Amino acid sequence: MFGLLRRYRELLLIAVLLLLPLVVYFAHARRQAELSRFDRTLLWIASPVQKGMHWAVSGVERGWYGYVALRHAHQKADALQRRLDLYELDRQQLLLDRAENVRLRALLGMAEASPERRYLGARVIGVRLDPKGLQLVTIDRGANDGVARMMPVVVAKGVVGRVHAVGPTSADVLLLSDRNSSIAARVERSRARANVRGTGEPWTCRLDYALRAEDMVEGDLLVTSGTDGVYPRGLPVGKVTRLRRTGYGLYQYAEVVPAVELTKLEEVLVITSPIDRAQESAEPAPAPTPGPSAAAPLMTPAAPPQGPAALAGPAAEGFAPGARRADGPPLPAPSPASAPGMEIAR
Amino acid sequence: MRPLVAFFFALLLASVQAGLLRYVGGGAFSVSLVLPCVVYLGLSAGNVEGALGSFTIGYLLDLLAGTPKGLMTFLAVAAFLFCRAVSGAVEVRSRTAFAVLSGVCTLLVGLGALFLTRLVSTPDAAPPGHLAWRLLVEAVLTALVAPLIRAAMRKIDGFFTREEAGLLR
Repeated sequence: MFGLLRRYRELLLIAVLLLLPLVVYFAHARRQAELSRFDRTLLWIASPVQKGMHWAVSGVERGWYGYVALRHAHQKADALQRRLDLYELDRQQLLLDRAENVRLRALLGMAEASPERRYLGARVIGVRLDPKGLQLVTIDRGANDGVARMMPVVVAKGVVGRVHAVGPTSADVLLLSDRNSSIAARVERSRARANVRGTGEPWTCRLDYALRAEDMVEGDLLVTSGTDGVYPRGLPVGKVTRLRRTGYGLYQYAEVVPAVELTKLEEVLVITSPIDRAQESAEPAPAPTPGPSAAAPLMTPAAPPQGPAALAGPAAEGFAPGARRADGPPLPAPSPASAPGMEIAR
Repeated sequence: MRPLVAFFFALLLASVQAGLLRYVGGGAFSVSLVLPCVVYLGLSAGNVEGALGSFTIGYLLDLLAGTPKGLMTFLAVAAFLFCRAVSGAVEVRSRTAFAVLSGVCTLLVGLGALFLTRLVSTPDAAPPGHLAWRLLVEAVLTALVAPLIRAAMRKIDGFFTREEAGLLR
């Protein structure tokens, strides 16, 4: 018997190794067995290997994606940077276009609010705010476009100045901040009269001939009175600041901050319709509520525009696509004498 | 000594396999790095040490794969015997033949596991038959990597086998 076992011991061992697991399997297949201590030890041994494997593979992965795969990243980054630069330029252009659109809409809105006037849109093409000389800006419209001397120049926020010298295709505008500029104004709230005179600095003007007894406080809005024969009535000029009223003398003194930022002008409107001085200077009733638009309804409509100007309508010309130039009757250029507040010292 | 070495090498391979499949495929396909060890034992080891080595490797597979105890152990020993029978009938020395045999063994072990599991499972829990195509993919992939494992096993064998001086090979 033992001899037989010894003879077939290999075969028997193999048979046991083969059949024992099968028996175990069929015996325990239907219920999950608990892990033995030996099993847990084996898993404990396998765990660091798996962790090491994970560490190695993730390291290779990091190396690959962090270095090797970035071989052409520099060229890609350059190309993307170039595209980004182009997009940035486009974006800047769009932002400029948007800002310009906002400004033009404001000008257009202003022009539509006063249909009795004719406006000519113009772009500022030169600035000469020389403290030693005149405070001028140059616009791209001239005599060929119907611009004449002494025509008021405005933007949506208020008065810019008046046309000082006219060339065929351009014109110089004397800003309200020039020392030679004087605009007849009223306090919008109390209708008190005064003159706004330039000081040579683009951000400040001074108040002239404001009687001491007049009702005026700091922060009051000054609007054109229409009595100087240059500016139509009701256009914002600036705000009263630093009001000084002494206990003696005829006048009170103040500084005026222009309603328009004169150093940031880009587009302006030239009012090409003649100013009816008698009509403009008619005294209206005090406005109940302050605001630049409050003056507009007080204006007496002038004669309706004739000819092609009538077709052009109230909208500002020169900005809107297809807008027509105002070819109205030749405008009588008011002489400096007809505008008491205006004088030029060369 | 050889079964123990085979066991630890298989443990290393099983861990590598688990780590690799996490990154490669993420479980969409599987590969058996351990079964070529059994094939190698079937071709080059003795009867007893080969059977013992296969038994331990099968035990390890049971443990790591979470299959019921005994299933992979039985199949590993059966695969060992199959390889033994094949090597007695045909010459399996080249890398290609080793790869083919590894692929066939993997497929047979897979099908055997499927069959045995269906025998003891309720109809609801029985593995569906269409898993067979995944077994085929596994067999092909195993055949592709089998030569590498064969080379590694031969290298390890070299540490424990003394060259006999003057013997022509």
